[in-house]
Amino acid sequence: MLSSVGSATLLGVEGRPVRVEVHVSSGLPGFTVVGLPDTTCREARDRVRAALLSSRLTWPSARVTVNLAPPGLRKVGSGLDLPIAVGLLAASEQLPPDSVMGRAFVGELGLDGSVRPVPGALPLIDALTEPEIVVPEPCAVEAHLVGRHRVRPVGSLGALVAALAGLAEWPVPPEPAPPVPPPPGPDLSEVRGQPAARFALEVAAAGGHHLLLVGPPGAGKTMLARRLPGLLPELSPDHALEATCIHSAAGLPLPPGGLIRRPPFRAPHHGASAVSLVGGGSGTMQPGEVSLAHRGVLFLDELGEFDPTVLDSLRQPLEEGVIRVARAAAKVTYPACLLLVAAMNPCPCGEGGAPGSCRCSPAARARYARRLSGPLVDRFDMRVEVGRPEVTELLSKDGAEPTHEVATRVAAARAVATRRGVQANAQIPSWRLDDVAPMDREARRLVERTLRAGRLTGRGLGGIRRVARTVADLAGHDGPLSVPHVTTALALRAEPTFLDGRAA
Amino acid sequence: MTGTSSPAPPTTDPRATADPPPSETSSPAVGAPWKAAESPRPAEPRSTTEQPPRRAEQPPGAGELPSISEHSPLAAEPVIAEAPDSAGGLPAPAEAPATTPSRAVERPLPAEAYGAALAGLPGMGPARLSAVLAVASPAEAWSHAAAGGSWGDAEVVRALGARGAEVVQRWAAAAREVDVAAAWEALVASDVEVTLYGRPGYPDVLAGDVEPPAVLFHRGDPGVIAGPRVAIVGTRQCSSVGVAVAFELGRDLGAAGVVVVSGLAAGIDGAAHRGVMAARSAPPVGVVGSGLDVVYPPGQTALWRAVGRTGVLLSEAPLGARPERWRFPARNRIIAACADLVVVVESHRRGGSLHTVDEADRRGIDVMAVPGSVRNSAAAGTNDLLAEGRAPVCSADDVLVALGLGAGGRDPAADRRPPPEPADRAVLDAVGWQPATLDQLVLRTEVGLATLAPALDRLCEAGWLARRGGWYERVGGPDAA
Repeated sequence: MLSSVGSATLLGVEGRPVRVEVHVSSGLPGFTVVGLPDTTCREARDRVRAALLSSRLTWPSARVTVNLAPPGLRKVGSGLDLPIAVGLLAASEQLPPDSVMGRAFVGELGLDGSVRPVPGALPLIDALTEPEIVVPEPCAVEAHLVGRHRVRPVGSLGALVAALAGLAEWPVPPEPAPPVPPPPGPDLSEVRGQPAARFALEVAAAGGHHLLLVGPPGAGKTMLARRLPGLLPELSPDHALEATCIHSAAGLPLPPGGLIRRPPFRAPHHGASAVSLVGGGSGTMQPGEVSLAHRGVLFLDELGEFDPTVLDSLRQPLEEGVIRVARAAAKVTYPACLLLVAAMNPCPCGEGGAPGSCRCSPAARARYARRLSGPLVDRFDMRVEVGRPEVTELLSKDGAEPTHEVATRVAAARAVATRRGVQANAQIPSWRLDDVAPMDREARRLVERTLRAGRLTGRGLGGIRRVARTVADLAGHDGPLSVPHVTTALALRAEPTFLDGRAA
Repeated sequence: MTGTSSPAPPTTDPRATADPPPSETSSPAVGAPWKAAESPRPAEPRSTTEQPPRRAEQPPGAGELPSISEHSPLAAEPVIAEAPDSAGGLPAPAEAPATTPSRAVERPLPAEAYGAALAGLPGMGPARLSAVLAVASPAEAWSHAAAGGSWGDAEVVRALGARGAEVVQRWAAAAREVDVAAAWEALVASDVEVTLYGRPGYPDVLAGDVEPPAVLFHRGDPGVIAGPRVAIVGTRQCSSVGVAVAFELGRDLGAAGVVVVSGLAAGIDGAAHRGVMAARSAPPVGVVGSGLDVVYPPGQTALWRAVGRTGVLLSEAPLGARPERWRFPARNRIIAACADLVVVVESHRRGGSLHTVDEADRRGIDVMAVPGSVRNSAAAGTNDLLAEGRAPVCSADDVLVALGLGAGGRDPAADRRPPPEPADRAVLDAVGWQPATLDQLVLRTEVGLATLAPALDRLCEAGWLARRGGWYERVGGPDAA
């Protein structure tokens, strides 16, 4: 007997439909899986057998061949356990043949017959074309996000078989708990002093400009960076689904309600490997931190401690907004459209910010500077020197501006950018700069002078104009950029002291 | 040549006093490398510095070293000298012009062209060049050298040293390969000027020196070497504190209208001149060891260009001359000769800066030193100088007082910066005398970034502030403006 069941597998962060064909015939009892299964998928045999027996079903003592079509696509993960089991039951006539028609199945089986959630349920379900889908109970939230199917959440194989055979009703999932509002993130009002750094944060949030914070230990760089996601507006439904897909594919827990609505904030430790940052990996390909931070913030604390080659692997995703990972097994494109915020000490001793106060030898400073390649530093349109706040500021009781007030201005500036057809000003293409960010005569003269003095490169000029545009948008200024906007952008683009001699 | 120049050079020639005694010509290991031989001088307590271990290459005047001729751009290939044999003897003075290239006859070249060509001959150190040009005009000396003629004058013989005949042969071989007119055109095209000792335009300060460079290559006007002048020198392997101190000294002295002389090397020298450039006041004077088209160290191109544009860049070495080691002590003597006062910011115990100190001592020029930490090996040499009783430099004021300028002696006219607007003035006051970040300035001025940023830009542009990374620093002495 033959049966054919719909399911899906993951390729990168996208789901691909898979047909699971099960053939049961007389012959020497055996079980073969063909069609490029990976190790986890091959192990389905033992899980399915145990689950069947635990659910008081029969393991056919016949020759069983499972084909996963299309055979050229590599099948990963344990999500095919459930369709294999259902296909086997249908092929061995333990289920009516029409019970699998028009239904697709995704889920992992436990040896006790329970149906368990699988990573990447959202993109998997998104790839299913059948009108009715059977998913593990915990994945029901993701299935509802897609919203195209009739969702049948199940908790165990036994319950599923009963429902498919018409012996019982489909199990009704317990009412999902009402979504708990996420705990508020750290608030900007907790930051004392540092008005310029706060403003830089606001500009970065409003314009999506990559931000480098340089300062001695204890200056509050990390504190500032952690308050950036709070300034960003909620994700649009499309962006939320993109971000949720990636997190789902990586098997990360999703927030209550399933949809990632707040921009994600990822802060990998500086020991991170290149693969963990950009994605890939042997066997199952996993999205890296740059993709997990898609539509959100990637915060690299202690930038100077990262492996230089790891950092340089960030250059392509920062430039293109996607990361293409090529391995022998597969080539995958992960989205990576993110706001990069990095913090670092100006030199190994940490005190090198103020001229003349560093205790490092020139050789040590040079070694430290070499860890950051010029092209990477170039990606930061804003580089702000953060000093330790002054004592009076630390002890002052005056509350600084809270996050929600700044976020209101950020949202307004983002709305202006959206009217220009970009998500944020950082994405204005070069050819549109003259149109979108023209400069008045005074500002042009100032920029020309700065270029002539060698304090700015041609590439830096584009960044300055985008940042200046954001500064103007935040100020509600609509016309051509004028001197205050451009000088502010220049002031927020410090040449890091350790890179003495390199033009901004 | 004796036919024309057998009369001894005038004893009033200051170079005569610098000529080394013949008795020491054969002891090349002793003495400053760029000299033909040691000159008579009292034993200095720091005689060890006269034999720095780094002197691996011997000076051209001290013996024959093929390595030198290899480095010279004019001696591309070792040429077997046969001409001196055939041309031997003493050419009659009338023959001399006949051996010059025909192009020179068509259009007479200036004496500077021949002076520059002579400076480019292999093994032509400052002492030999001075001696040769003391007995003959540049054109005559060139044609004589090209002909491989021997030199009868006692000073020249002394400068040539024991193996003079070989040197003369190499000169002749190299000179035959040189087209003086083309070389001169190249010089003019590369915006390098040449000034000969004793000619108009030669800086007065150097003309009165005990060992004036016979041929001076320069970019910019050497006339700026006037008024109060301070040499700031130090090691290349310096601490960042040393760099900061040199930068501030250069900046504050420059702002006070003092001409700062330095060597444009990495480390202290470069930092001092960067400070001068930041002050945008007094013109900088840079003295380098290599040819003016050979930037050394390579990272200093921008600084070289800036110094040549706003002040003067001097060298004794012809175009294309590589930074050979023997050229640096020779350069140090010019630095010392250009200055009223030498300030050593940081020097190792056997540093090359101490050679500049010796040269300053020979000339009776005061030397001051910046005290350093006892744990800083880069300050060991300067601390030794202090132990010898030299005056310490803790700020630019110490130098100004030593120069007799004092606080009141500063030349306000030297401050060419336009006075800041009242609003900018408040920002300038907010910066104070400690480096400040943008954050601090926003808090102190209590104006928004939109007001502050243009003001800071104006102040930087006018030279009142310098920006380093995210830090703003005030430029100029405390009572300036």
